[in-house]
Amino acid sequence: MRHRPGLGTALAVVAFLTFFLGPFCWQVLTSLWPDGELTRPWPSHLTLESYASVLWGRPFLRVVLNSLWVATLTTGFCLTVGAAAAFALAKLEFRGRGLLLSAALAVSMFPPIATVSPLYLILRAVGLRDSLVGLALPYATFALPLTLWVLTSFFRQLPDELYRAARVDGCTPFQAFWRVLLPLAAPGLATTAILVFIFAWNEFLYALTFLSTPEKRTVPVAISLFASEHREPWGEIAAASVVATLPLVALTVLFQRRIVSGLTAGAVKE
Amino acid sequence: MSPRGSLERERRQAYLLVAPAVLVLGGVALYPILAAVWLSLHRFILVFGERRFTGLENYAYLLGDSRFWAALGNTAYFTAVAVTVELLLAVPLALLLQKASPGRGLLRASVLVPWAIPTVVSARLWAWMFNPEYGVINRMLPGQDINWLGAPGYALHAAILVDVWKTTPFVALLVLAGLQGISEDLYKAARVDGASPWRTFVSLTLPLLKPALLLALLFRSLDAFRVFDAIYVLTEGGPANTTETLSIYAYKTLMRSGDFGYGSTLSVATFLCVVVLAAVWLRLLGREETAR
Amino acid sequence: MFALGLAVLVGVGGCRREEAAGEAAGRTRLVFKYQPLWGPPEPFRELLARFERENPGVELVTEALPNASDLAHQFFLTSLEGGARDFDVLVVDVVWVPEFARAGWIADLSGDFPPERLREDFFPGPVEAVVVEGRTYAVPWYLDVGLLYYRTDLVPRAPRTYAELERFAREAMARTPGLQGYVWQGRQYEGLSCNVYEALWGHGGRALSDDGRVLLDDAPAREALAYLRGLVERGVSPATVTAFSEEESRRVFQEGRAVFMRNWPYAWSEAQKPDSPIRGKVGIAPLPTVSGEPGSGALGGWQLAVNAHVSPARRKLAARLIAHLTSPEANRVLALSYARNPPRPAVYEDPRLREVAPFIASLLPMVERAKPRPVTPYYNLISDVLQSEFSAAVAGLRTPEAALKRAQRQVDHLMGEGP
Repeated sequence: MRHRPGLGTALAVVAFLTFFLGPFCWQVLTSLWPDGELTRPWPSHLTLESYASVLWGRPFLRVVLNSLWVATLTTGFCLTVGAAAAFALAKLEFRGRGLLLSAALAVSMFPPIATVSPLYLILRAVGLRDSLVGLALPYATFALPLTLWVLTSFFRQLPDELYRAARVDGCTPFQAFWRVLLPLAAPGLATTAILVFIFAWNEFLYALTFLSTPEKRTVPVAISLFASEHREPWGEIAAASVVATLPLVALTVLFQRRIVSGLTAGAVKE
Repeated sequence: MSPRGSLERERRQAYLLVAPAVLVLGGVALYPILAAVWLSLHRFILVFGERRFTGLENYAYLLGDSRFWAALGNTAYFTAVAVTVELLLAVPLALLLQKASPGRGLLRASVLVPWAIPTVVSARLWAWMFNPEYGVINRMLPGQDINWLGAPGYALHAAILVDVWKTTPFVALLVLAGLQGISEDLYKAARVDGASPWRTFVSLTLPLLKPALLLALLFRSLDAFRVFDAIYVLTEGGPANTTETLSIYAYKTLMRSGDFGYGSTLSVATFLCVVVLAAVWLRLLGREETAR
Repeated sequence: MFALGLAVLVGVGGCRREEAAGEAAGRTRLVFKYQPLWGPPEPFRELLARFERENPGVELVTEALPNASDLAHQFFLTSLEGGARDFDVLVVDVVWVPEFARAGWIADLSGDFPPERLREDFFPGPVEAVVVEGRTYAVPWYLDVGLLYYRTDLVPRAPRTYAELERFAREAMARTPGLQGYVWQGRQYEGLSCNVYEALWGHGGRALSDDGRVLLDDAPAREALAYLRGLVERGVSPATVTAFSEEESRRVFQEGRAVFMRNWPYAWSEAQKPDSPIRGKVGIAPLPTVSGEPGSGALGGWQLAVNAHVSPARRKLAARLIAHLTSPEANRVLALSYARNPPRPAVYEDPRLREVAPFIASLLPMVERAKPRPVTPYYNLISDVLQSEFSAAVAGLRTPEAALKRAQRQVDHLMGEGP
């Protein structure tokens, strides 16, 4: 007797959809609301003036490109370094495996605010302050622990036989990694990529402190600049956040199959 | 090649492969953390222009600092409630995501939206919705306007709601991973035995979900304990510090008061609390693994 | 593969030297860190271009900071403590000057701007905030002052005492149900401190004693907090005022749902916008007091300072830029195009200002009486305590007496420690 999807299930689905999408839809609505009417229960008409002022009045597209660049750099760096290390942690025998994973976890548990000043000094010392490339470095560093944990558990789930078979065929460990296991790890890589990308895209503290020139601004910092001394233009902030969020939402929707399978494939038993 | 030689080679290549990660972590992350720990042993207040080594004096002060304990209490309450609610919501959500229920595709796609929006943005969005005069939440609720962000009882729960909204999807995915690990045969056997869906869930699914639940608890607790953005945007720790968490206290001490010494102490204390929490969960997780 | 990437990173980074504001083909690049002024960009650009014309060989570059004072403070704390040399002139909030001066981050400007001359040219409030131990550390750029806004169609005139304010509010509320009496800023943040100090001054109190002690546990402070809490308890102010910052209270007032509002001057131009429901029905006045004498608004606004880490040659140029940006002409430009209130009394007499921006000219009596919050290098150190204890009293969590006792104890402890 199969469990029929009943009314209860349907209601639950609707409830969850409302809960998760509701606020986002409200944000979109706010961005189309005329500014003078923001305090009324409902807009009298919809307008694109907030978007116009965000996209043309301010160099917001430039800002989005900056964020895209930093996030891509961070993700590329993390995947490269992380996949290699995760493979070794999962499949190879060497001393210090547990130590590395624990140390990585510990790094990710430290409150970021206390690291701002020392990091500022480091970046100044190597001349990477006020550079998008320089920003990607601390981002990648603090996204690395998550990358290591997700990818290591993913590689662990891949059967050892694959690796051993490749070795028997004459591959070095690195070749086994590169040719055999890495392609199979695609879902895990996709998941990690999204996780790191979103982290880098949304990060505010470091972006505020380490970047200064207007051309280098990233999205969260740019949104924080919308407010005038006392005034807060809700409509424009809503429009900017919709513009800022759309790439992420699009990415997650496009890759949602991959993400879900990436996070869950590791658990599928044969 | 002899087995021993091949093992040696493996070991060498392993070191090469992890070297970049170690370099990056050690070079970039280790210094700030060690610097923060070092600073926590100093009395270093910018405006006094003094910087001297005081050993564990800051920590002694911390133990007697009622504001620290209050913040710790708020943080613990926030973590406990947020993570519990997230788990309670995530399990049904994961079940829905697994079943071939109508709207599964849409649900899957939309469930990741809260997680994709920058926290700073979503916190502002919720702040606007919580606005006592114009916020859509008060508009929808009958009766007197609730002072969501200005009344001591409500503010922390408003922040919890924001956190739940944002991270339930992530927890649901972790639970889904656990669900998918449960073999279909077990369910078939239960049905043959005539077990009701509820009975199946309680006696079969839940126990087998324990490892996934513990993992979700681990990650979520660690994150919830360090919550900052959402609360700062909503209330800045107010009213009267009733929503002040450890991260906010550390931020204000470091960046407003310019007390780098004690601010670092607070950060290290937060870190130690998180480590203890992680150790507890990992111990529980380990026990689960060996029990199976 | 990876090692190559790392090498490229370091190589690229190494090419950028920290002295970005350096010499390039004989030109000096001066960097001005400030918060964007809302309004048409041309007048300000012209102001900057004029400086470049008068100082050939100087290239002016501006870099924007978020307007949120906390974020800007955090930025400066990190970069100035880290010895940043990549900006020359910076904006400082009115309560930061003693702190930055003490920390050695901003240069002593007494040579170019002697305190006596400042006292002649600027209002006493801002001068008090920028002169530390007899030396000038910043020059006032524009200022803000707390005002009372009232609905001219709902009350006969501006109230002069607290009792009058409450009476007028109740009468209007009785006539029109659903109206709030008096909205102000009660959220736990710096704006609350401004509101509380205004009430404290209105009850005859002082912020600092003669020997520099922050006075909190005395009768005027207790009465001030009791008054503010009383507004909420008696229903004159909504309970939700404890979640209000400037924008929330402005929106309530602008929708026509409040009789009185305490806010900064910016709310005026918002209220006079074409689609504002209260356009033409708003008046401004000094804040009320117990005695009926016009009250003092809290002093806000921003000043210009020179980064002490840069070379002496650049400091001289930076001082010249500051002189240019704080000149009477610049004050006028800021007032006319960006509604920034001038810190120079003389500018208020200017006929052009009177004609084009009569509102700003009408602020003169309020600006003259503006008072700064306690001027002490430790202000940022203690502002946390002040905010939380004030919030506790206003939200009804502690009695004013208890809150102020705690505040005094903590503040004394913080200020008593250290050299």
